[in-house]
Amino acid sequence: MLVVENLSKVYDNGTAALKDVSFQVPDGAFLGVIGLSGSGKSTLLRCINRLIEPTSGRIIWDGVDITELRGEELRKVRRKIGMIFQQFNLVKRSTVMVNVLSGRLGYTNPIYALVNHFPKEDRDKALAALERVGLSDKKDNRADALSGGQQQRVGIARALMQEPTMILADEPVASLDPVLAHSILDQLEVLNREDGMTVLCSLHYLDLVQRYSTRVIGLRDGRLVYEGTREEIRNMTDEDFKDIYGQEAERITPGSIMG
Amino acid sequence: MADAPPDFNPSGGPPQDLPDLFTPEETIKRNPIVTGLLALIPGAGHAFIGRSRQGAGYFGLTVVMGLLLYWAQVTTEFEVFPGLWIVLLVVAILFYVFTIFSAVSLAGDAEKFYPRIALILILSFTYLLGWQATEVNLQKFFTEFSDTFDTFSRILWPWNAAIDPIEDVLVVSTPFLAPCPDDPIASSMSELDNEFGAQITLEPGCGVMNEDRTEEPGTDLMLVGTGFVPNTEVVLWWEDPIGEDFRPNYDGETLSVVTDADGNFELAFEAPRYNTPGQAVGIQEHEAVIRQLIDITGYELSENFLLALNRLIITIFQALMATSFGIIFAFPISFLAARNLMWGSPLTRVIYYAVRFIMNVSRSIEPLIWAVIAVIWVGLSPFAGVIALTIHTIAALGKLYSESIESIDSGPIEAVTATGANGLQTIMYAIVPQIIPPYLSFTIYRWDINVRMSTILGFVGGGGIGQILSQWINQSLWSSAGIAVWMIAITVSVLDYASAELRKRFV
Ligand SMILES: Nc1ncnc2c1ncn2[C@@H]1O[C@H](COP(=O)(O)OP(=O)(O)O)[C@@H](O)[C@H]1O
Ligand SMILES: [Mg+2]
Repeated sequence: MLVVENLSKVYDNGTAALKDVSFQVPDGAFLGVIGLSGSGKSTLLRCINRLIEPTSGRIIWDGVDITELRGEELRKVRRKIGMIFQQFNLVKRSTVMVNVLSGRLGYTNPIYALVNHFPKEDRDKALAALERVGLSDKKDNRADALSGGQQQRVGIARALMQEPTMILADEPVASLDPVLAHSILDQLEVLNREDGMTVLCSLHYLDLVQRYSTRVIGLRDGRLVYEGTREEIRNMTDEDFKDIYGQEAERITPGSIMG
Repeated sequence: MADAPPDFNPSGGPPQDLPDLFTPEETIKRNPIVTGLLALIPGAGHAFIGRSRQGAGYFGLTVVMGLLLYWAQVTTEFEVFPGLWIVLLVVAILFYVFTIFSAVSLAGDAEKFYPRIALILILSFTYLLGWQATEVNLQKFFTEFSDTFDTFSRILWPWNAAIDPIEDVLVVSTPFLAPCPDDPIASSMSELDNEFGAQITLEPGCGVMNEDRTEEPGTDLMLVGTGFVPNTEVVLWWEDPIGEDFRPNYDGETLSVVTDADGNFELAFEAPRYNTPGQAVGIQEHEAVIRQLIDITGYELSENFLLALNRLIITIFQALMATSFGIIFAFPISFLAARNLMWGSPLTRVIYYAVRFIMNVSRSIEPLIWAVIAVIWVGLSPFAGVIALTIHTIAALGKLYSESIESIDSGPIEAVTATGANGLQTIMYAIVPQIIPPYLSFTIYRWDINVRMSTILGFVGGGGIGQILSQWINQSLWSSAGIAVWMIAITVSVLDYASAELRKRFV
C-alpha cells in the first residue's frame, strides 16, 4: 500500500508544482495519472522515489515513510521501485547490455563500478530480462542504434533488473506511435497482473487510461481534482474526461476502446 | 597563438559594435539653434534630442581623436611629416563640425541621418595615422624583397645540408718536437703504413711553436710528400700533444696544395700557433698531418639533421607530457567547473566561480609568457616548456571538459539514480560514458596544439626543436634551420590530419 499525504512541492524558482496532494494506491493496482502538461504528473512520480525532494507531506510505502529516508536506506527503497521515462533515458553510447545491467547497481558493490564489473548471476539476469522484452539479439548494440519502441523495452528490462515491487512510468508511451504504445503498455500490464507489481503510470490518451488503468487520479495545476475506480473510468465519457484533462484531450482512435 | 578555434574569443570586434552605435534612436524634436549651441560639446546636442547613445559615441570618438592627434604631435617614435599632421587635424575638425551639423539637422528633421560621413572621416583618420605609426614602407617591401632569396631558397630546399659524404681519407703524419732536444732533429719522416706508399718528410723535425708568451714566430718548416694520389688536393692538419686535430690557420687561411702528376708535393709553412699549457713540462711531441681525400664511399645523415630529429622527438614528448599532466589536473577540475553539477549549494557555487576565474586567468596568459616564467623557475630545459604547456593545457582542457559535462543529457543520471545507485556508480554509468568521447576528442586536439606550441616555446628557452631552430637562425645556419622548419611543418600536418581522423571517430 502506497499512501501519499498532503504532498506539496515548491521549486526553487517559486513554482508550486504540487499542492497538498493526498491519495492511496493499493498493492497491485495500475494507477493512471492524468492531467495537462505542466499539471505536476512528473513531479509527483519523481517525489515518490525522491528524485525530487518534496517540500512537505509524507509518502508512506509498506509502512515506511519514504520522505524520511537518507543515504543507504533511501537507495534500498529506490531499488525496489523501477522507473520508466518518456525519453527512455538510456545511456546512448553504452550497449543495451550495459544499460540493462545498470538497473542492478542498487544491489552490487559500488567498488565494482570502477572496473565496470557485474557478477555472473547479474549478467544472466540481464539476459533473461532482455529475453523477456524480446531483445536478446540486440544486447551488444549501442542503445542509440535501437528504435524508440526498442529503447523503451530496454528501459523496462533495466527496471526489471531491480526486481521491483512498484513501477513508476512517466508518460512511457508519449514518444511512441499507437501500436508501439499498446505493446509497451501490454508489457506493463503483464508485470502488473502476473508479477503483481504496483504500477503508477501517467498517460495522455483516454483510450489507454480506460484500457489499462484499475484506478485513476487527475491533476490540475498541482491539485488532485479527480479520483476514480476501474468502473468509474470505463463509464467516463469524453466530456467527463475533458473536464479534468482539458480540451486538448483526445483518443488515439476516436470512438473506439481498444482491447 | 596557434590554438585558434575553441579558446579564441574575438573580444568585441568593430563589425558588431558599429551598427549598434549607429542604430537610429527615437529623436525628440527640439529647437535646432539650442541643439547646435549644445552640440559645441561633442555629443551633447545628440543627447539633447534623445539620441544619447549616439551622442556618447561621438563624444568618445572626438576625445580619442583629440588624444591621438596630441600623441602624433609629441611622439618621437616615428616621423609624422608636417603635411600629414595638418591633414589629420583637418579630418578631426571636419568630424567635429560633422557632429554639430548632424545634431542640428536631426533636431530639425528627424529623417536625416548621416552615419556614413562619420564613418569615412573616422576611417581616414585611423588609416592615415596607422600607416605612419606602423612605418609601412611599400618601397622597401617591393624593391628589397630579393634580399631574402638566398635565405629563402636555403630554407625551402635545405636537404643538401641533411646529408654528409662518407669520405675515404689518406692520413699521413710525422712527429715534430717542441722545443728541440739538446740533440736537434734535422728531419722527421712518417712511417710507411698505407697501401699507397705515401710518406712525408718534415724539415726540421723539431723547433718552437708560435706561442703568445714568446711573441716569436714558429720555426719555418718544409714538408715534402711522395707517393700520394696524383693531381689531388692534400690538406695540412696538425695534432697537438694531447691528440687534438686542427687545421693550422695563417691570417684566416688554411693550407692545402695539389699533388703533381707523380703524386709529390712540397709545402712550406711556419710551425702553427699553439699555446703550450703551463703544466706541460719538457719536450712536447706534436704531429704534422697530411690528409688527402681519396674517395667518397657513401653518404650519411648530417649531424644537424640528426640533432633536429632528436629535438623533434623531444618536442613531441614535451607535448605528450604536458597533455598528460594537463589531463590529470583538468579531469577533476572539470567537475568543479561544471555549472550543472555545482549549482546545488552556495558553497559549491563559490567553488565553481573560483575555479572558473583561475582557469580564465591562466588561459588568457600566453604559454610563451608561462615559458619565460618557467625558464626562470627550472632553467633552460625541455621541462620549462612542459610546465608552460601544462598550465595552459589545464586551463584550456578544464574549460572544454567542463563544457562537455554541462552539455550532457541528465536523463540517464536520473534513470541510474532511480535504480538505487550511489554517487560513484552514477558517475561511472551515467556521466562517464557521455563525457569520454568528447574528452578524448578534446585531448587529442590539445596534444596537436601542444606540439605546435612547444616548437615556439623553444625560442624562449623551453627546449625542443624550437630552441635549436632559434639557435641556427641566430647563427645564420639557414640550411639547418630549413631542416628544422620542414620537420616541424611535416610533423604538424601529419598530426593535424591524424588528430582530425581520430577525433571523427569520437563524435
Ligand atoms: N526543475 C524545475 N524547476 C522549476 N519548475 C519546474 C521544474 N520542473 C517542473 N517545473 C514546473 O512545475 C510544474 C509541473 O511540472 P511537471 O511536473 O513536469 O508537469 P507534467 O509532468 O504534468 O507536465 C510546471 O509548471 C513546470 O513548469
Ligand atoms: Mg511530465
